[in-house]
Amino acid sequence: MTTTSPNSPLVTPEESRPPLDQPGPGTWLRKHLFNTWYNALLTIILVSIMLLAVWGIFNWIFRIAEWAVVPNNLALFMSGLYPSELYSRIWVMLGINVAMAGITWGLLVRNQGKLLGRNVLIGVAAICAGFIILPLTRPVALTLIGLVVLTLVCAWVGKTLGQRKLSLSQFLAAGWFLVYSISLLVLAGGDIRNSLIYLVAAVAISIWLTSTLLRLLANASVLDAISGNTAGIWVMRVLWFAGSLVLFLPVYGFLNIPLPLKIITLITYIAFVSLLVPILAERKTLTTFVVTASIFGLSCLALTAIPNAISGFFGLEPIGTNNWGGLTLTLFLAITGIALCFPIGVIMALGRRSKLPIIKGLSIAYIELIRGVPLISILFMGQVMIPLFLPEGVRPDNIVRAIVGLTLFSSAYLAENVRAGLQAIPRGQSEAAASLGLNNPLTLSLIVLPQALKIAIPAIVGQFISLFQDTTLLGIVGLVELLGISNSILANPKYLGDYAEVYLFIAVLYWFFCYAMSLGSRRIERALNTER
Amino acid sequence: MTHANMSMTNHSNGSTVDREAVIVATDVEKWYDNGFNVLKGVSLNVYKGEVVVVMGPSGSGKSTFIRTFNALEPYQKGSIVIDDIEISYDLKNIEEIRREVGMVFQQFNLFPHLTVLQNVTLAPIWVRKQKKREAEATAMQLLERVGIAEQADKFPGQLSGGQQQRVAIARSLAMQPKIMLFDEPTSALDPEMVREVLDVMRGLADSGMTMVCVTHEVGFAREVADRVVLMDGGVLVEENTPDEFFNNPKEERSQKFLSQIL
Repeated sequence: MTTTSPNSPLVTPEESRPPLDQPGPGTWLRKHLFNTWYNALLTIILVSIMLLAVWGIFNWIFRIAEWAVVPNNLALFMSGLYPSELYSRIWVMLGINVAMAGITWGLLVRNQGKLLGRNVLIGVAAICAGFIILPLTRPVALTLIGLVVLTLVCAWVGKTLGQRKLSLSQFLAAGWFLVYSISLLVLAGGDIRNSLIYLVAAVAISIWLTSTLLRLLANASVLDAISGNTAGIWVMRVLWFAGSLVLFLPVYGFLNIPLPLKIITLITYIAFVSLLVPILAERKTLTTFVVTASIFGLSCLALTAIPNAISGFFGLEPIGTNNWGGLTLTLFLAITGIALCFPIGVIMALGRRSKLPIIKGLSIAYIELIRGVPLISILFMGQVMIPLFLPEGVRPDNIVRAIVGLTLFSSAYLAENVRAGLQAIPRGQSEAAASLGLNNPLTLSLIVLPQALKIAIPAIVGQFISLFQDTTLLGIVGLVELLGISNSILANPKYLGDYAEVYLFIAVLYWFFCYAMSLGSRRIERALNTER
Repeated sequence: MTHANMSMTNHSNGSTVDREAVIVATDVEKWYDNGFNVLKGVSLNVYKGEVVVVMGPSGSGKSTFIRTFNALEPYQKGSIVIDDIEISYDLKNIEEIRREVGMVFQQFNLFPHLTVLQNVTLAPIWVRKQKKREAEATAMQLLERVGIAEQADKFPGQLSGGQQQRVAIARSLAMQPKIMLFDEPTSALDPEMVREVLDVMRGLADSGMTMVCVTHEVGFAREVADRVVLMDGGVLVEENTPDEFFNNPKEERSQKFLSQIL
């Protein structure tokens, strides 16, 4: 039979196949488009309208539109007012991210046949051809093709390593965090002690050292014994806290942030560590944690030491955030916002379902308050009011305030999406978990949340997409992200009236990233589907 | 119980004084949040290795009653002692109780996002802190015992109802409970799958497991149960041997109930 796929592994006997219903194109046309005289009329009218529209669009794209505005300002679109002599840093950043993306891809498909299937090869060829056809300068086109090759190489590396070492995919999140921190460091430059990665390294190293010391001091059976009762847990809490404080303070002291912020982060750290101790005290968790933290801490240490050593050679000149812009800034805002609003949203959703009245009330108040206010007013409030609440001399960066606003706003909506997912999990699931002896935190993290988040994926990704698009509002509060820089370009008398070209170009860019996200979400859903 | 194991008495001779009671429920009373008095002072002793079948019309409180045995349902008056541990609803106590008591539900309640093997190994790994490899070896033995070892890597959604319920039984057994509760384990199954689940339960009873089953399967009750208990309207109406209960019930309410189901 020619109608069934030749690749199909199942060859069913003739008689058990569904009846064939695949007439030729002529019959299909007659049946669906020309079956009555008024349908035929409708078809003819609609087809001519469509042809006219397509002709109009093509005519505009290829004959009327003045595309010079796009290639001439490509650097501005991509990176705003970033100093042109430092563009190499943006390329490096792109390279790191693309390499990590390649590794991630390789790790995720490690169990599926060939890396370079037919579709992938066609896609790669199309992208490379695009880079050659588009009016890019020779070096830019070559670099871009180089990045595609880098992605493929990293994918191969990721796949090969992933097959050898199965546990590698657990470190993807940590890897992305590392890449994010390095990207930020490369983009902003300046004193390493200002950087996020330095703070994380300080925390990770001190937790790692304390837990190692604790393990050396007490053997497994002692640990088991003291984690079994309340007094023992409190002894461990005090030990752990004192130890990590002693180890943490010297590293922390170098951190280049204002004193009030230092105190706030220190208090958070105390609370966090003391809460964690009973969980960490369990042997199994402790081992996993120590391994993760040590790898992470060591790499952070290396990464803090290396730029410090080489900054004398390369001179990673600090670039203020007022020079960030274009697509780079848009992506930075969106990625940071997404990464921050997800955990906050989940916590708020859980808080709203809590049985404790104060936690429940606060969560509801937060969600309803934020949802009742338009994003733009939150952003203005961030610009005008946050400085009023903070002590003299502490004035968070413009971009930080924008991210805080975006995050607060999105997390309230996200909380409701997650809550919908939680609501959909039948009570029997937590009853079954309880009857097996799982306590509440375990039930939540192993049984309820994985299922709830899976159900909520489409809604969550929808929220991410709208966060990505909401970054355009930040043009109003003075950031030159992709839309902001486009408006500045259009203000140039040389490109007066090129509205359609510029807006169409950035629309395509926005569409590309949003569609990638929705494609990703569909793939995740398919991968998590257990009802096949 | 200090007088345990003093003599080996036959199950069916009715002498209960010197056997070890693993569940001692005394005058258990429970009200729902809306004020409905669902249990009106129910007392029941279950002895080691015994199979007790709880029957009764719907709404009689029989499910609620057995769910109090592993602290899934709180009660307001009376006391329940499981293997010398009194249920008290502080977290530590609930943990201990649930280690003793396994439960199988009417709707299976398997975890749909985990494979069959992961369903069975989850609690041993996270609650009993077993090594993954040990837990998996034990789980495969249990799956073998309930007859579905070859489905270990499938997801629950790909199995039939009877297979799912057998996985649920294996999942409970993986925690090595001393007592198993069955809350209408065959009521949600297609008729031709009831048998495979009852066979597993029969095997479990033969191996000496203490079991409390809420079920409408008269054949199972006749054949496997040591005692049959009838509940109605939140009180325990009759407690009897299966022979006596089905052939010669003492109470009028029991006669009426049997006339409707037989």
